[in-house]
Amino acid sequence: MPVDAEKEISRLWRGLHGAQDSTIKTFYQWRKAAIGLVPDANPSEIALKGWEAMAQDMGKLFLPRLSFSKGEEAFLKQVAGLYVNTWQGYGAVVKVEPGTSPMEVFIKWERCPWPAFAKDFNAPLKEDVAGCDLVLQITIDMVNAFMNTNFKIETQKAIPRGEGICLRRLYKP
Amino acid sequence: MGELFKWDYTDYPGYKKYPHLFKPIQIGKLTIPNRIKYAATEDNLNDKDGFITDADVSYMRERAKGVVGGIACMQGVYMDKKRHGQGYVGQAACWDDKYIPGLKRIADAIKEEGAISASQLMHCGRVGAVEVEYCQGPSPVPQRLRIFRPVEVMSKDDIKRCIDEHIEAADRLCQAGFEIIEISGIVGYLISNFISSYTNRRTDEYGGDIRGRMKMVMETIQGVKKVIGDRPLGIRLCSDELLDDVRGNTPEESMITYQMAEEAGADYMSVTAGWQEAIYPVISRDIPQGSWLFLAKRAKEHIKIPVQMAYRLFDPAIPNKAIGDGILDIWEMCRPMIADPHLPKKVLEGREDEIRPCVACNVCLARLFRDAPMTCYINPVCAHDHDPKFHITPAETMKKVMIVGAGAAGLECAWVAAERGHEVHVYDKLREVGGTLLEARKAPYGDEELYYQINFAKVKSDKAGVQFHLETEVTTDLVDEEMPDTVVLAVGPKYIKGIAPGFDRANVVGVLDVLAGKAAVGDNVVVWGNKKPGVGVALFLAKQKKKVTIVGKNKDFAIDINPSFRWRYNAYLRQNGVTVYNDCDIAEITDNGVTVMTYDGYMIPVKADTVVCTERAPNQDLKNAIKELGVEIFEIGDMVIPRNLSSAVHDGYKVGLRI
Ligand SMILES: Cc1cc2nc3c(=O)[nH]c(=O)nc-3n(C[C@H](O)[C@H](O)[C@H](O)COP(=O)(O)O)c2cc1C
Ligand code: SF4
Repeated sequence: MPVDAEKEISRLWRGLHGAQDSTIKTFYQWRKAAIGLVPDANPSEIALKGWEAMAQDMGKLFLPRLSFSKGEEAFLKQVAGLYVNTWQGYGAVVKVEPGTSPMEVFIKWERCPWPAFAKDFNAPLKEDVAGCDLVLQITIDMVNAFMNTNFKIETQKAIPRGEGICLRRLYKP
Repeated sequence: MGELFKWDYTDYPGYKKYPHLFKPIQIGKLTIPNRIKYAATEDNLNDKDGFITDADVSYMRERAKGVVGGIACMQGVYMDKKRHGQGYVGQAACWDDKYIPGLKRIADAIKEEGAISASQLMHCGRVGAVEVEYCQGPSPVPQRLRIFRPVEVMSKDDIKRCIDEHIEAADRLCQAGFEIIEISGIVGYLISNFISSYTNRRTDEYGGDIRGRMKMVMETIQGVKKVIGDRPLGIRLCSDELLDDVRGNTPEESMITYQMAEEAGADYMSVTAGWQEAIYPVISRDIPQGSWLFLAKRAKEHIKIPVQMAYRLFDPAIPNKAIGDGILDIWEMCRPMIADPHLPKKVLEGREDEIRPCVACNVCLARLFRDAPMTCYINPVCAHDHDPKFHITPAETMKKVMIVGAGAAGLECAWVAAERGHEVHVYDKLREVGGTLLEARKAPYGDEELYYQINFAKVKSDKAGVQFHLETEVTTDLVDEEMPDTVVLAVGPKYIKGIAPGFDRANVVGVLDVLAGKAAVGDNVVVWGNKKPGVGVALFLAKQKKKVTIVGKNKDFAIDINPSFRWRYNAYLRQNGVTVYNDCDIAEITDNGVTVMTYDGYMIPVKADTVVCTERAPNQDLKNAIKELGVEIFEIGDMVIPRNLSSAVHDGYKVGLRI
């Protein structure tokens, strides 16, 4: 039974993309259903509640993976790496780039599937930026509370704003 | 010292062999006849409202018998009505006078056995509140694991109340008749939460530097001291939190806490290591015995009060030497006496070879974390001490019993049946006793200790008069000839091969042959089976620098290892570069490798020159052959359904009682 490696990899690759798509679609389907249930509420407020729940869970996933044993600089990179892994799981092309000082890194999203789905589901793109910002804020707050650090994360560019990439600065003030 | 010396150990063989263990010691105003302490052990045996049960009293009575005049400490009690301090569903409570009669039963039982009764105050802090929504702590630092409750920050009033609750509970424990009071600051409970830089970020007087972080502890010690009269007050504190990855205390800070506790009036220090949240193993079988003694030594260098310590001190020779060397004063034990409540007594009486050995698997702990009453992997009587059904009593009718198989199940059954008066014959086709464990003990990370159970059961069998017939294959004719009243089949599992093409090739070998060094194994190996036998042999081969891949049908690897130990294996597989494909099977074996098929039909080619089969199946051949003879048959151990050492021992013990 010789294995056709190309066939196996392409099947897996398609399967992975299908799974990534359905994760994001599920969020927007949930958003639509929730808005339908509470027609008087502000749709973006509902969506942000959803992002908040996602962020809490993401933060909980981060905590067991954090370690300060190699010092603060390595820790900052570790946190950035966790964001990268999470968004790669959604199908984004994202990487960490060094900043101007050891206690600063940039996380650069060159491609991200979330805004395209927002468009498909008629969700305002600014809600997409707000959602991402909320997730990053809640998770960094959880990391800070856990490790007694004071890291900040700020959005400098955003694909949904038409700026080509998402760029976030993660740093110690 | 007077009446103490009803405990005169000098004529006992254990005294001669381990003189330091059986010397008296002074703790505060109390003289302890020896250096032995059964350490506090939560057992989840108490009532859901914290009242003491018969099961817990009997459990403690047995351990009190075991310490031959030493200290027996009951489990830590929680002290608040709101149950924030409660860490276990069956934890004993002490927040009201209504608990005193139950607690008195424990103190009385301990004293009736001639031991010194100790009790413990234990607020479980950030790992507590099992029955309520929020736990309490000095600062709102989330825990690493999801199972714990969110942390509610304690106000100064809460702290004051909590200290008062410690004091009131200590007073009740004295009224119940306990002779020693201990405060537990172990593994991430409230006391340690206040002390640690990881969890205490307060800026008021209860936080800040190590002295501020110790304030709550100091006030507790001083307050408790005032109500307990002459009784000694001990404390358990971390000597090393093992929390460097989350910026916990430094060892220097920990030593300051020891000195401060001594200054505040603590009469002894029980040295502990690690938190539940630590990422390092502390007490599992992979940690060699005696590894943590350097922490006791460090404590001795910093304080003058007696230093006690447990933590993998299973072999009495280790604490005996440590006490002789002046780096330890009292030998504490928890799990060794869960596994064998009479361990120190057997040491004293020169019956060390009859000690049922704890295998440091942590099933006892794992069950507590899952709200289940404690049991022991290796000791079927544990937590059933009160239940006559678990006791060995003489058989009503003497029988001739033929046990086929001298592995863990067969030997356990043999000694129990023989002690009950049966005439027991054990047969095995091998030259040595031990069955599967003869080879399984070769897996790395402490598995040699599993074989100690065989040594124990063999000694018990010999002493009970069991007759061994080794190198003897049992056939229908032999059974017919011997005419036993009962046959117990303990023949072990069948090791099987898969049905995929290639399983009949010469490069497919069996796990026992690999461990025995009888099979040739190449550099790239696929291990078929992801339970403990597969994981064990994979690590055995990876240690020889082979590239190993495990392919197993179970959704998770090592489902037969409890979660409180499985995480270690996960780490070791990673460290040794072992690739694991769970929920997968072998679709084909060729000369060059193996095709792995995932549960959903993907194919993965894996380079391999050897395939090691570890899968097992029930083994009914002999049963089918002899059942026509009309003799009573029992089946035990892996031949019924392949499981683990624990099932073998428990099956053997229970059938030994039933024959
Ligand atoms: C099942 C179990 C329950 C325990 N309960 C307590 C407890 O109530 N209070 C405490 O201070 N330590 C408790 N411990 C810790 C032990 O007292 C002991 O320090 C630890 O198990 C290491 O010692 P060992 O290697 O002799 O088991 C418990 C340990 C186990 C395994
Ligand atoms: S369950 Fe395991 S670790 Fe606990 S006492 Fe028994 S053998 Fe030892």
